[in-house]
Amino acid sequence: MRSLWALYKLSIRQQMHGKRWLVMCLLFLLPAGLAMLVRSNANGARPLEIEFVFAFMFIPQGLLPLAALVYAPGMIQDEQEEQTITYLLIRPISKAALYIVKLLATLTVVIFLTCVFTGVMYTVIYYNFADPDVPHPAVRCLQAAAINSLGVTAYCCLFGLMSLLTRRTLIVGVIYAAFFEGLLANLPLSVRLITVIYYTRIIAYRTMSFVVLRSWGESNIAADAWQLDIARDPKLLEHPQVGTCILVLTLASLVLAVLGAVICAKREFHVKTPEK
Amino acid sequence: MNSVAPPLSSVVVFHEVSKWYGNVIGVNKLSLRIPPGVTGLLGPNGAGKSTLLQLATGQLRPSQGTVSVLDQRVWANPGLNRFIGLCPEQDAFYEWMSGWDFIFTCASLAGMKRPQAREAAAKAIESVGMTRHMNRAIGGYSKGMRQRTKMAQALVHDPQVVFLDEPLTGTDPVARRDLMEIIQRMGAAGKSVVVSSHVLHEVESLTPNVVLLNHGRLVAEGNVREIRDLIDKHPHRIVLVCREYRKLAAKLVAWDDVEGIEILPQRNGILVETRAPEVFYSRLPAISNEAETEIQEVYSDDDSLEAVFKYLVSR
Repeated sequence: MRSLWALYKLSIRQQMHGKRWLVMCLLFLLPAGLAMLVRSNANGARPLEIEFVFAFMFIPQGLLPLAALVYAPGMIQDEQEEQTITYLLIRPISKAALYIVKLLATLTVVIFLTCVFTGVMYTVIYYNFADPDVPHPAVRCLQAAAINSLGVTAYCCLFGLMSLLTRRTLIVGVIYAAFFEGLLANLPLSVRLITVIYYTRIIAYRTMSFVVLRSWGESNIAADAWQLDIARDPKLLEHPQVGTCILVLTLASLVLAVLGAVICAKREFHVKTPEK
Repeated sequence: MNSVAPPLSSVVVFHEVSKWYGNVIGVNKLSLRIPPGVTGLLGPNGAGKSTLLQLATGQLRPSQGTVSVLDQRVWANPGLNRFIGLCPEQDAFYEWMSGWDFIFTCASLAGMKRPQAREAAAKAIESVGMTRHMNRAIGGYSKGMRQRTKMAQALVHDPQVVFLDEPLTGTDPVARRDLMEIIQRMGAAGKSVVVSSHVLHEVESLTPNVVLLNHGRLVAEGNVREIRDLIDKHPHRIVLVCREYRKLAAKLVAWDDVEGIEILPQRNGILVETRAPEVFYSRLPAISNEAETEIQEVYSDDDSLEAVFKYLVSR
């Protein structure tokens, strides 16, 4: 256990070190910066609308897959490229445990980024800017952070496994994020059941209110943006419940993590030596 | 964290081990038993030395055969790493760490409690002479310092068996001397050390026990002298320096155990080939006492590893 704890701490330090960390912090700050810009310039933009665009569109569709792609594939690949993996392989730590601990460290870092900068963004949106449709922005902030954390966990587990199967994880990951999570998830088809973002959206829709009062009546901005046919199916009976969504995402993450650990346990990690 | 096991006749055993990477054979049906003490693993680049060390430390799985260290199978046995240390060939570190940070982290990764890890790190750093520089970032270290730091991480958990993969590569003479002293101290402290190198005189000065590899095969193993004695077909070559070397040559050509003589005018001597060096040496004092053929110097090329290796590798 001490070895694993040492590995966990080392991995966190590696992730929170250097230019990559700085760049990721700046990227995660982007929604807050843009929200501030919108708030100061766009007349009539409701806080809830700003929140929806950034917390439930920009972050889950753009930032979270990106963060997972930046960190998860590098868990093992970076150590191999930098030839430091040898120092880990010659310690009394199994390769499966090595993978799981590195994954946990990666999840700690990306969830930290997600939660902290979601909080910053909500502060920017709702500070001195009350919205009658949003009585408790702090609670919504926590909900958004939790939902997005669940989403980024699934992405990290997926891209971590991908990195063990292909060296071109970045390309494959971008294609996956753009095509599956970006395109297919927005279509009212069954295929969106295999996307992460579908389940996070259902959880968000069922646990939070996205109704805004307009001059012509109420408008559910989430249903419109996410292609949820609430006119025909107002209670979304055709869609899974919150518990099911959480279970699917959690189980999928677990399965992907375990698969990654199994593959890692059987893998040989060749380190290039000068003579090679 | 002291790890002590009962004495073994062989600390590392390779049994019919082969390792291939696709169509390339790294190690080919190699059977080898490495005894306690310091053993040199010798071979040219591409001989399979690093592959052998990676097999011995569980980083690679043998395609065939078995590898065991301290009587335990190595592959998928991370617990064995408590007793094994490796100084890898690649010059790679977490460059942003200080030397202390790196060694302390390695000690922690070995499972030590914090106070124990601190003590072990300090001791390991002291043993390689890096105490003065331990708080500097590794990125600013010289090559010799980096090698010492690598050596320290191999020793921090007090392993029983230490594998050193080309530990002296790229070091300056002072660092090389210091590192060789460290290796000798390891052997004197009771650790079993396997040192790989393609630089012959380095291994020769560390240990008489060598294993010679070439093209993934075991070429020879044992004491340098014993290896030499095994080469029956190749006569021993002995150089005799004498002012009247031609007269000496005329006398020696009549000896039964002399197979051939070559005149070496540039060395003021002759090169004698003999299959019975002990007999030859025993008769030399008598001939040296004779008039005109006083011998100033006698030396043998064959006792150097280079000569042995060149011959064996070229077979």
